[in-house]
Amino acid sequence: MRTNRARLAVAATVAAFGLLLTGCAAGSGTSADPTNVDPEGEITPHEISWLLSRPADGGVITAMEQIADEYAKDHPGFALNLITTPDRPSYIQKYETLAAANKLPELFDTDATPFAQKLAANGTMMDAEALLKDLGVYDDYRPAALNYQRFDDGSLYMVPFEFQLEFFWYNKALFEQAGVQVPKTLDDFPAMCTALRDAGITPIALDGQDQWPLERYMAYYPFRTAGPDYVQQLKKGDATLSDSTGEQAVQWLSDLGSAGCFQDGFSSTGYSDAQASFTSGKAAVYNIGTWELNSLATDALDPAVRDDIDYFTLPVTADSVTAANEYVSPSGIGMAVNSKTYDPLVRDFLGFALKRYPEVYAATGALSPTTTAETTIPANATPLYQRAVDQANDVGEKTAMPWDTQLDPTSNTRLQQELTLLLQGEVAPDEFISTMDGVIADNGPKAFQ
Amino acid sequence: MLPQRSRLSVLVFLVPPLALYGIAVLLPIFQSLFLSFFEWDGISPMLFVGVENYVHMFTGDAVFWTAFRNTLGYVAICLVLQLGGALIVASLLTLLRRGRELVKTLYILPAVISTVAIAFLFQRIYSLDPEGLINQVLEFVGLGGLQHAWLSDVNTVLAAVSIPEGWRFTGLYMLIIYAALLAVPAELEEAAKLDGASWWQTFWRIRFPYIRPVWITTTIIATTNALRGFDIPYLLTNGGPGQSSELLTTYMYKTAFTSTNYGYASAISVFVVVECLVAVGLIFVLLRRKADA
Repeated sequence: MRTNRARLAVAATVAAFGLLLTGCAAGSGTSADPTNVDPEGEITPHEISWLLSRPADGGVITAMEQIADEYAKDHPGFALNLITTPDRPSYIQKYETLAAANKLPELFDTDATPFAQKLAANGTMMDAEALLKDLGVYDDYRPAALNYQRFDDGSLYMVPFEFQLEFFWYNKALFEQAGVQVPKTLDDFPAMCTALRDAGITPIALDGQDQWPLERYMAYYPFRTAGPDYVQQLKKGDATLSDSTGEQAVQWLSDLGSAGCFQDGFSSTGYSDAQASFTSGKAAVYNIGTWELNSLATDALDPAVRDDIDYFTLPVTADSVTAANEYVSPSGIGMAVNSKTYDPLVRDFLGFALKRYPEVYAATGALSPTTTAETTIPANATPLYQRAVDQANDVGEKTAMPWDTQLDPTSNTRLQQELTLLLQGEVAPDEFISTMDGVIADNGPKAFQ
Repeated sequence: MLPQRSRLSVLVFLVPPLALYGIAVLLPIFQSLFLSFFEWDGISPMLFVGVENYVHMFTGDAVFWTAFRNTLGYVAICLVLQLGGALIVASLLTLLRRGRELVKTLYILPAVISTVAIAFLFQRIYSLDPEGLINQVLEFVGLGGLQHAWLSDVNTVLAAVSIPEGWRFTGLYMLIIYAALLAVPAELEEAAKLDGASWWQTFWRIRFPYIRPVWITTTIIATTNALRGFDIPYLLTNGGPGQSSELLTTYMYKTAFTSTNYGYASAISVFVVVECLVAVGLIFVLLRRKADA
């Protein structure tokens, strides 16, 4: 009797583990050909999901919801389920966990990171270049918008939905008060900061909490002195920060820290507090993209500072190898198409949506990633709005890539941490360089094999 | 010896929770142990690396040791606030004639507020620009020179992220200790007082030995909770500036979900489990030995 019960218990345990294992295995899907962008078969309407990292009330989601409704009218049974996690680190965690479990939905957002490159290499993502060409919309896109999404080898697996320009917004009245001019070169920044500090003005408002805004400053100097290739070499270990390019960049950052360029306690200041510091007339400079046009170039802006706000683009350096009209012009996080769930319906919907999207999106006052739609300037815009939008037609070929989309994640995390310490004066430039070169040497080459 | 039927009913009631415990707690621990011998990014094939992750953790990773030291500091601050604070408040509460329920409720309140709300609350309290509560108070009492970005200074940030966690659960432990203090027989204390014992002597010789079993349990709960502390430091500073408030748990989380290095993150998680077990063992040995002495 007892032996039977023991056997039964063992059998039940084995069965339970068996169930667990089959449960784990159920996630593996069948692999499809990522270049077969026009699969055969009937279009059967069903719900498709898009896992994305964009503001819930932003232009992309509003436009796509409208387009999905239009599509659903002719395709009863179709629905687009938008699952957004605007907080980027949380989103990345969610998306990478789903990728590991083989549970990614039909559409998902990703930057051109090493992780995304692995997904592309293992055939999880559809070839976006082939898809866009097949749908006849490839040539509509701004080359800069597509280039931003490409991997280092030039392959394209993500579709852009935005086009942004990143400017240094500044307060003319505060500049005048401190007797400073718009910096002509990056080397003018420390002196500008010192003069503003002396006048009791916060030089630059920085959202240090999210870390990517500070990391932009790391990208600026090398982009000017060595061009966009520098970071691509650095991340693989083919260049080091102890090279003259890196050394100059680190020294510049250290000078920014010594000159007190950013507000005290910047590392714990959040996005909205940094912006409020600028829009309330407390800080003189604020580095942010055109996604904030509604806050900075409309009557939403405090009347006390509204007429004092202007912008300048990334200054050059004395020996700059990139032109003044080349700076950070991202096309935002891209959308990848899951090859394992790709079917005629997904293709048909994307064909409809990507043709319709530029017009609907540009009507929200945003810059379309294509050249086919003109941005509608809102009725409450200041003249600065139109000027910023027109600037998009003057952007040069080379783009300063944000380093957080370039480095391997371990090096990137460490860089963000060490940058704060460098700017706060906790570590010396030499120490910063040797730490980061060590971390990149340990992790970079491995990630980009 | 239980009769056959009773033994069966005990088994019927015990096996499901045990099975649940096995699946929810033991299985993940063994999975982590298994994963810690591999290098795996979640999508590529798993690569067996033996004890390489552990060798790197102990000999080649400075951040790990910084995080470990920070964790010890974090635990110390949390324990002082939670256990020390709880003992003081609970002792004072026994002296209170009126309004005990109100005070208890007020103290327990932080334990029921969501972590995210607490993190936001303390972000505001510590803030320098815009000026938060602490800096406003300093300015108000004429100590404006001490105003500080508490979460940005590498010397203050660890204490700044530990205090909310300590403050949050002080009320909960206070309640447990208060219940234990109530069970101390009043006759014993009265007899001691009649014999001329001071307040401190009464507390140390009579009250504390009486509540020692509860104190051990509370210390174990508070220590293991603090060792696993994650949410408030993660939300307040994400381990920064630099690694000044990086705990083993936040480092493990980043290693797993930002760096997608699941093997190494598993090795760290195994270390956290062992660390918790060692801490519990130490508490037992130390407090029991004292009791026997």
